[in-house]
Amino acid sequence: MATVEPGSDETRVRDIAMSRLDHIGGTIAALSDIVQTFGHIERRHMEIVADVFNLTVAEIRGIVSFYSDLRTEPTGKRHIRICQAEACQSVGGRELTAATASRLGISLGETAADGSVSLEAVYCLGLCTSGPSATVDGRAVPYATVEALIE
Amino acid sequence: MSVARVPRETLAVALGADELASELARAGHEVVRTGSYGLCWAEPMIDIDGIAYGPVTDLADLEAARLGPVDALPDLLQQERRVFDRCGRTDPFDYDPAWLRSQLEREPVEIIGEIEASGLRGRGGAGFPAHIKWRTVHETPADEKYVIVNADEGDSGTFADRLIMEGDPFRLIEGMLLAGRAVGAGKGIVYLRSEYPLAAEVFARAIDSARDMGLLDRFDIELFVGAGAYICGEETSLLESLEGKRGEIRAKPPVPAVAGLFGKPTLVHNVITLCAVPDILERGGADYAALGVGASTGTMTFQLAGNVKKGALIELPFGISLRALIEDWGGGTRSGRPVGAVQVGGPLGAYLKDAELDTPMTYEALAAIGAGVGHGGIVVFDETVDLVLQAHYAFAFCAHESCGKCTPCRIGAVRGKETVEAFMASAQGDDELAIIRDLCDVMEQASLCQMGGMTPIPVRSALGLK
Amino acid sequence: MRNGDVDFGTPAVPGEERARRVSLTVDGHRVTVPEGTSIMRAATQVGIPVPKLCATDSLQAFGSCRLCLVEIEGRRGLHASCTEPVQEGMAVQTQNDHIADIRRGVMELYISDHPLDCLTCSANGDCELQDMAGAVGLREVRYQDGEDHLDADTDASNPYFSFDPSKCIVCSRCVRACDEVQGTFALTIDGRGFGASVKTGADDFFSSECVSCGACVQACPTATLMEKSVIDHGVPDRVVKTTCAYCGVGCSFKAELKGDQVVRMTPDKDGFANHGHSCVKGRFAWGYANHRERMLEPMIRDRIDEPWRAVSWDEAIDYAAQRLKAIQAEHGTDSIGGITSSRCTNEEVWVVMKMIRAAFGTNNVDTCARVCHSPTGYGLKQTFGTSAGTQNFDSVAHADLMMVIGANPTEGHPVFASQMKRRLRQGAKLIVADPRRIALVRSPHVEAEHHLPLLPGTNVPLMNAFAHVVVTEDLVDHDFVRERCDLASFEEWVAFAAREENSPEHVAEEIGVPAGDIRAAARLYANAGNAAIYYGLGVTEHSQGSTMVMAMANLAMATGNIGRPGVGVNPLRGQNNVQGACDMGSFPHELSGNRPIGDDALRGQFENAWGVEIGEEPGFRIPNMLNAACAGEFKAMFIQGEDLAQSDPNTQHVEEALASMECVIVQDLFLNETAKFAHVFLPGTSFLEKDGTFTNAERRINRVRPVMAPKTGMEEWKVAQALANALGYPMQYGSASEIMDEIASLTPTFANVSFDLLDRVGSVQWPCTDDAPTGTPIMHRETFVRGKGMFVLTDYQPTEERANRKFPLLLTTGRILTQYNVGAQTRRTDNVDWLNEDVLEIHPADAELRGVREGDWVAVTSRMGEISLRATVTERVVPGVVYTTFHHPDTGTNVVTTDLSDWATNCPEYKVTAVEVRPANHRSSWQETFGVRLEEQTGLLPQT
Ligand SMILES: Cc1cc2nc3c(=O)[nH]c(=O)nc-3n(C[C@H](O)[C@H](O)[C@H](O)COP(=O)(O)O)c2cc1C
Ligand code: SF4
Ligand code: FES
Repeated sequence: MATVEPGSDETRVRDIAMSRLDHIGGTIAALSDIVQTFGHIERRHMEIVADVFNLTVAEIRGIVSFYSDLRTEPTGKRHIRICQAEACQSVGGRELTAATASRLGISLGETAADGSVSLEAVYCLGLCTSGPSATVDGRAVPYATVEALIE
Repeated sequence: MSVARVPRETLAVALGADELASELARAGHEVVRTGSYGLCWAEPMIDIDGIAYGPVTDLADLEAARLGPVDALPDLLQQERRVFDRCGRTDPFDYDPAWLRSQLEREPVEIIGEIEASGLRGRGGAGFPAHIKWRTVHETPADEKYVIVNADEGDSGTFADRLIMEGDPFRLIEGMLLAGRAVGAGKGIVYLRSEYPLAAEVFARAIDSARDMGLLDRFDIELFVGAGAYICGEETSLLESLEGKRGEIRAKPPVPAVAGLFGKPTLVHNVITLCAVPDILERGGADYAALGVGASTGTMTFQLAGNVKKGALIELPFGISLRALIEDWGGGTRSGRPVGAVQVGGPLGAYLKDAELDTPMTYEALAAIGAGVGHGGIVVFDETVDLVLQAHYAFAFCAHESCGKCTPCRIGAVRGKETVEAFMASAQGDDELAIIRDLCDVMEQASLCQMGGMTPIPVRSALGLK
Repeated sequence: MRNGDVDFGTPAVPGEERARRVSLTVDGHRVTVPEGTSIMRAATQVGIPVPKLCATDSLQAFGSCRLCLVEIEGRRGLHASCTEPVQEGMAVQTQNDHIADIRRGVMELYISDHPLDCLTCSANGDCELQDMAGAVGLREVRYQDGEDHLDADTDASNPYFSFDPSKCIVCSRCVRACDEVQGTFALTIDGRGFGASVKTGADDFFSSECVSCGACVQACPTATLMEKSVIDHGVPDRVVKTTCAYCGVGCSFKAELKGDQVVRMTPDKDGFANHGHSCVKGRFAWGYANHRERMLEPMIRDRIDEPWRAVSWDEAIDYAAQRLKAIQAEHGTDSIGGITSSRCTNEEVWVVMKMIRAAFGTNNVDTCARVCHSPTGYGLKQTFGTSAGTQNFDSVAHADLMMVIGANPTEGHPVFASQMKRRLRQGAKLIVADPRRIALVRSPHVEAEHHLPLLPGTNVPLMNAFAHVVVTEDLVDHDFVRERCDLASFEEWVAFAAREENSPEHVAEEIGVPAGDIRAAARLYANAGNAAIYYGLGVTEHSQGSTMVMAMANLAMATGNIGRPGVGVNPLRGQNNVQGACDMGSFPHELSGNRPIGDDALRGQFENAWGVEIGEEPGFRIPNMLNAACAGEFKAMFIQGEDLAQSDPNTQHVEEALASMECVIVQDLFLNETAKFAHVFLPGTSFLEKDGTFTNAERRINRVRPVMAPKTGMEEWKVAQALANALGYPMQYGSASEIMDEIASLTPTFANVSFDLLDRVGSVQWPCTDDAPTGTPIMHRETFVRGKGMFVLTDYQPTEERANRKFPLLLTTGRILTQYNVGAQTRRTDNVDWLNEDVLEIHPADAELRGVREGDWVAVTSRMGEISLRATVTERVVPGVVYTTFHHPDTGTNVVTTDLSDWATNCPEYKVTAVEVRPANHRSSWQETFGVRLEEQTGLLPQT
């Protein structure tokens, strides 16, 4: 077994996983934390989480692939999510999505080739009185317009 | 000194409430951060010395946003705020536990008796009588039992769980502790969706403060934040997720009340269901039961959303008509065009047309027209709505969120989506409609859970298939 | 009659005998079943099969395919009959127009994402999807082209099966089989919704956590997971039930054939030892039977440096008989002998044993069980009265605690390990005492409460320390001891155990385990409720092997852990028929049923039956034979299916002994290492050609049935019979069944055993007598076989083999999952894809000290010899201990092992050899000699 230096990614991932070990839904919490910390989950992260929780890598893979937050690819520098659900559809959510996508030159679910921005679907942000809704880098944007999302 | 009450709630904050709060503080007001009253159309809605203003965009021109004395606002006065009683009025963390302490002395069977008398039914969607679950968990012997709060609130058009968790988290803590006392559970867990970061923050702080008050000595509460899966709102999927696994649906039986989390008896309730409990215990089950119509007792937290002028959360006894909600409370569509369709009860709910808008909002009346109350979400569309597209979306949403365990939903949703596409492309469309009709029967009858089982509801109603 | 071929869809209710009965009607037929039974199972019991795809009775109900929907009177909607339990008075309808429509609709969805290539599909005729499409009457798929998985790539990385996801119906049966049956959790569903697909944790099966047990392949209802042999040869059309010839678990199999070609081996659901499960060896590694190196013709030669001559059976037998007679004439009756093989059937062993005693006229008969489990026989006989394990495998389902000592079940006894792991997942606790961090210490879903990484050779002080804790903390089960045990011996034992020298604190340093851990583990064992001991060669292969067996037996008696389900002292036998070879009386000092040869009356029975005189003095044990050979006093040996030269310790000594003899007769499948020193080679039969019985580690007598005619032209027992006849002793068995009848007539514990009985009831565990007509799963229930349980003092005499300045490390040996013993079989299968050489495990600290890096060649030197092999640096071993396997002859692992052995039974001390390890850049001189000899001897084979 290779020794790992303190402060390395490996140790951080292990620490994150350990801190969630005795929690309800600990695997998912740990993997969410890894996304928070590293932006996405890599295979070696999964191996460490599997080891800490005494599960197989297969099981962790199954979990990661089930939850849309547990991303395995980094997002763009700017991360735009537009609500696709009904309440937002009723006030132009579809049109907003299409317009934003065409302005950015990428489709929903894509990251720009230069990594500058990614555009993602989200299904309801609980702002359904004030749609169309979106988030930009996690910040909620009610009554969203293309301008509000791109500027 | 004048007191300014500014909501700290996701929508209000997104619309500038934090900046308003700082400005008000700078201007010398004592600022109290509260929850939201749920009058979302008026956010950010602030209250300065009892006078409400909203939406406030510019403090310099406050008067333009004047709504009048908070205590006399018809939009609040005319509600029957049982669950949302404190929400908006109070600082969420300014909590006196005395009443709760006294209630926790009550005998479990007595508490369950009040719940039964209240006629309370689950607000998460299925409307199942609460007391039956309580009694089952209470009576099933086990070394550990759980109370689980379903705060996964994934339905479009709903935000009641979020509002209360951000605005009055102790209401939920009260409900959980009382339920825990009644069923004999030692642990409570809240499953909150990750799309609600502020609710997570507020609720986590409330747990800490409850712990500091010594409220959690015999019943601990843990907050779990989901990771993006609508299906985890379904209770068995939620249990799998809490066990740290893929959120695949479990076959029932056994029901969670008998074998739930880690196989132990588990009471699973929606946030609002549990938040109704304190009121029921305070005023008595009979008092609660006196509200509403027939077996739809008590209040419902209707959430008016979508293309509506005055989107809001409105707590009223069951029985009001959809039309009254949309017209009288909501002020009609935001676009000003006539209503085209209303989807009631989330993405698995029916699209109702004008002719159906006079239906009283009760479990029974909606069931009679093939619809449901769901979590109380009402999404208004104006006449530009393309219902074929909405049918397509219903399948697409199911395809996107299906856990993938059962065949009707896993494959059916995709085939449904494709067949609607074929229908849109075809001149006649009869063949496609026939296939969709059969597919809806298969999904409804054969799906393992209501994700697949109820997707036919929006599809059929949107396409006029009966 | 059990019926393994009906799939009831869901498993039987656990403890169903005791469950309340519930009556219901299914399509009007009344059926009564245990409470908790699924509607599906109940319906199947009255002959009404409900369509199903995700359900199979080896797995828990899952409820995903939705084909099994039924109506229940008085309830709305349709209900999945697999997940819906029966209720009293329920009226179920399994078929009507509505149900039919819905089922057809579900099937239409399945087929809308499935290739339509039934006719060319490898599962054609053996596909549940195909069957169900027929059963529900699907006639048309109306969906237009849309999204599908038809282009998904096939993963053929596993040598034995392929995975074609384009045919997958996502029923999760493979995933669930891996979890529930095998307990490896190597598979998952990846993604969700329509994107859900079966994946491993890696890019393909071979590089994943998969252990290739094949449970997924068996569980798959379609051609998605399919044996390559079926893809190559087509679906089998004939079945013969038989028993695996690998480890001591003794799995029952259905050999599935076309003609006499084996197409696949499927573990038998009705097998009591394995319940439909198997490991990579049993299920897949049977190809050696047809390997080109298989020897099929008898051969003889006068000297071992002469070429072999292929001859007829008659000539070979005559030649052997002449040489044996001549040697006996010149050097005396006792100058020859032989050994029996614990890989052969009971009947074959019996005949060889009888040939040696009756036709050779000597008691110089031993068995290769000498080198593995002889201390078990001795130790358990002394304490309990029977030389065998106390429990059936299923007993583990009742254990609250398992203590695993010197065994590595996930590698050595994988099918039983799966059963253990299932129980551990249910919450049973585990103690592992082993110098290595074996997988059970911590691997997905399993974690031992205590791992006691004791130094090799210190088992006895560890057990004595356990005894000390039990005695001094008064954890003794006094009622049990008072009623069941010999009190005088108990009192002496208490006094012995209580001695300070046996306290954990006193022995901790010598053992290398902190005293606190020992105490905690001892308390856990004593207070567990049902505590079961499982042990392996890590117990027996020591100079105190027998002492250790008795120490464990003492502990089990003192804590009352004997005589009911979930407890006991259980050897995990190495080879398939170790138990049988011992039972058959092929020890020099014992006749069948472990009875002493010195007993006149007993000998009289045999003499009567056999019409010969049998000497009362025990003959030579294997080491005695070898020593005598070196001394020039022992001249000829008949060696049945055992590779002395590879498997016995101190190879150079064994080679010298073999080379000294005038006539070595080897009966084997391959030209093994020993055969290189032989004068007569008699080709043996593989298990696929044998007719007889094997006795597994739980005393279970399983039938081995011939799947094909002997490729050698002669059944193996007939060879020994012919040799006996040629030597002038008449033997006239007409069939293997007659041999068993003789065994039964001369062996009380086998009294009721016959092929007839076995064919009728499947298998039985001896004792199988009038009192226990279908066998005895759990022994010593009311009383011990010897009457009162006997405590034996277990003074610790350390081995002479100590780590010292010159040899500072202790080498211990073992085996791995994919290989078996000396590897003669498994090396001749695709199992070599997993490991094709023996490697040395060394702790990072020891490696660093010696400048050894991962993958380096190292020389391992003991006072006996030197070998070179590759090193792997791992924390599986503790500092001071190194480990390797002995699967590959060119490694020569036993060149370094010593000739020390168990004081009571001479079982070699394989597990402790003081060695030094250093970097090397060439093979050792022994290994070079080996290479030369290999070339020479191969050159001497008859050219074909
Ligand atoms: C697809 C699906 C999603 C659901 N999502 C939620 C949800 O987000 N919140 C909720 O409370 N109940 C949800 N439910 C209902 C729950 O399964 C369950 O009935 C509820 O949590 C019980 O609580 P109650 O008795 O208080 O209603 C969902 C059900 C389905 C089928
Ligand atoms: S209906 Fe859909 S979400 Fe529900 S179990 Fe089936 S696949 Fe999963
Ligand atoms: S539907 Fe878009 S925020 Fe709720």
